[in-house]
Amino acid sequence: MVNALPASAAPAVGESRGVRTLLIAISVVFLAIFLLAPLAVVFAEAFAQGLAAYFNSFTNPDTLAAIRLTLLAAVIAVPCNLVFGVCAAWAIGKFEFFGKSGLIALIDLPFSVSPVVAGLTYVLLFGAQGPLGPWLAAHNVHIIFAVPGIVLATVFVTFPFIARELLPLMAAQGNDEEEAALTLGANGLQTFFKVTLPNVKWALLYGVILCNARAMGEFGAVSVVSGHIRGLTNTMPLQIEVLYNDYAFVPAFAVASLLALLALATLVIKSAVEWRAANVKEKPA
Amino acid sequence: MSIAVRKISKNFGTFAALDSVDLDIPRGRLVALLGPSGSGKTTLLRIIAGLESADSGSVQFDGEDFSSRSVRDRRVGFVFQHYALFRHMTVFENVAFGLRVRPRGTRPSPQRIRERVTELLELIQLQNQAQRFPSQLSGGQRQRVALARALAVEPSVLLLDEPFGALDAKVRLELRRWLRQLHDEVGVTSVFVTHDQDEALEVADQVAVMNGGRIEQVGTPDEVYHRPASSFVYNFLGNVNLFHGRVDDGTTYINNEETGHLVFVRPHSMEIARQPAGPNYFRATTKHINAAGPSVKVEAITDWGAPVHVEIPQERFRALALLKGEEIFIMPRDLAVFSNDQRH
Repeated sequence: MVNALPASAAPAVGESRGVRTLLIAISVVFLAIFLLAPLAVVFAEAFAQGLAAYFNSFTNPDTLAAIRLTLLAAVIAVPCNLVFGVCAAWAIGKFEFFGKSGLIALIDLPFSVSPVVAGLTYVLLFGAQGPLGPWLAAHNVHIIFAVPGIVLATVFVTFPFIARELLPLMAAQGNDEEEAALTLGANGLQTFFKVTLPNVKWALLYGVILCNARAMGEFGAVSVVSGHIRGLTNTMPLQIEVLYNDYAFVPAFAVASLLALLALATLVIKSAVEWRAANVKEKPA
Repeated sequence: MSIAVRKISKNFGTFAALDSVDLDIPRGRLVALLGPSGSGKTTLLRIIAGLESADSGSVQFDGEDFSSRSVRDRRVGFVFQHYALFRHMTVFENVAFGLRVRPRGTRPSPQRIRERVTELLELIQLQNQAQRFPSQLSGGQRQRVALARALAVEPSVLLLDEPFGALDAKVRLELRRWLRQLHDEVGVTSVFVTHDQDEALEVADQVAVMNGGRIEQVGTPDEVYHRPASSFVYNFLGNVNLFHGRVDDGTTYINNEETGHLVFVRPHSMEIARQPAGPNYFRATTKHINAAGPSVKVEAITDWGAPVHVEIPQERFRALALLKGEEIFIMPRDLAVFSNDQRH
C-alpha cells in the first residue's frame, strides 16, 4: 500500500499512523481551546445584541479617540523602528566592531523585559519624581500620562521586531553584492537602494507587519505610562479594559473584535508575504 | 593600465597577511597570484581593488599613487569568487548595473546601454539568457555574467578572485581557456588569484608565487616551473620527492642524513630499472602501483626507509612488468638542490 502513496506521504522518519494522528490531534485540540475558542467568544459577545449594538459601540467618542491614539502610536512607532531596525541590522549583519554582541543583546531586551517594567522605567525617568521630571515640568513638556509617553512605550516594546527579522538574513547574505556594486561605481545610497534593500524587502515587510501588530496590541507598558484618561490617553487595549470594567460588554468586545481582525489580517498578509518570498526564491517572476 | 604594488603590508590582528610585498604588473598582461590558502593572495588583490586598505605601502596605477582613492575612483573590474551577482536582477540588469549607476552627466543613453549590454552578452554567449535570474544559471554561466558585468564599465584593470574555484573540473578547464582567449581579445590588464598551479601555469603570462604573505618568485610559467627560485616554489608547482643530502665539489649525494641540503626530484624525472645503470642510482622496494591514467604511479621505499614516488610511461611499465614488493633501482635525471636554511 505504501507504494501507492505519493512520496510526501511516506516520510523518512516513519512514525506509525497512530503516533501521527495523536500528534496532530493534540495540536488541533490545543489550538482550538487556547486560540479558536477565545476568538469565537470575542465575536460572539461583540454581536450578542445584534449588528446595531455592535456598530453603535463605535459612536462613543472615547472609543473613537482610543482608536485614533492607537493608530497614531503605530504610525509613529513603526517608521521609527523601521529606520532603527534597518540601521541596526545593517551594522550588525555586515560589519565587525567592538561591542557587537552587546548591541545584539540590547536589541533583544524588550523581548526579555516585562512590558510593565519597561513602562515603569519611563515613569521613573520622565515622571514628576524622576530626574528629568522637574525640567520637563518647567518647560511644560508632558510625557508621562500623555501621548508622548504612550508613543515612547510603544516604540520600546516593538523595536526588536524589524531588526530581528533582518539580522539573520543580512548576515547570511554577506557583503559580496555590496562590494560588487561599489566596484561597479555605485555610491552608498545607490548600493543601499538598488542592492541591499531589494535583497531584504520580504523580510523587511514581514518585520513591519509584526511590528505594527504588536504596536497596536500593546497593553502592559502603555498601561503604566498612560494614566487611563478617557478620551485622551487610552489606546484600544486600554479602552477595552475600561469598557469591560464598566460592564459595557458589547462595546468592549466590539473594540476587541477590531484588534482580533487586525490580528487575522496580519496573519493573512504574513502568510501571503511568506508564500511570495518562498516563490520568488524558487522561481523569480 | 600598469599596476605597481610597493611595500604593501597588512596585518589582521597579530597575523601578517602581507609582509612588505612588491609587485609590478605591466600593462595588458594577464598575471596570476598563485599560492596556498592563507598566503595573502586574495588580500593583495582586494588591496589593489581598494576593497581592503593596506597598513602601509602604496598601490600605483600607471605610476600614480591610488592608495587613498576609493573603490569607485579606481575603476577596477572585480570578479568575486562566488560571483556576487545581484540576485534580484536579471542577467541583463546585472550587466547594465555599472552603466545605470553612473552620474547623469556621464551615463550612457538607455539605447546605448542596451547596445553595450547586448554586445557583452554576445561576448559571453549568453544573449538568450538575458531575462533569466542568476539562480536559474549554472555556475559557469554565472561566472561569465560576473565577468561581463565587470567589463561593462570598461575597467582599467580586471581583478579576479579564484575565478574558477567554485566550478567543477571540466567547466573549469573550458572557462580558463575562454578567459585566456577573452583576455587576448579585450587586452585589459588582468590579475587573477588561484591556488591551482595548473590554472596559473596554463592561463597566465606571468605568475607570482606567494607564500606566507610574501612573493617568492615572479616569472613566466616556464621560468617558475623550470627555474624555481626557492624550495617552496619547486614544491608548490607540482608533485615532488624530497630528500636530504649534501653537496661536495659540485656532486650531490642523496642520503638520509640532515646535512644541510634539500634535494627535490619530480616523480616523472626518475627512471626505474631492474639493474643499475650509470653512477647515479639508489635502491628501493615497490610498495604500491597505480596504473590508471596516462602514466603509471609507483610508490616505493628507499633502502634507507624514505618513501619515493615515481611516474613512468605505460610502455616502460609494461616492459618492466613491475610487481608489488620487488627490488628496483631508481635513477634521478633532474635534481633541484636548495640549501636547508632557505625559507620554504
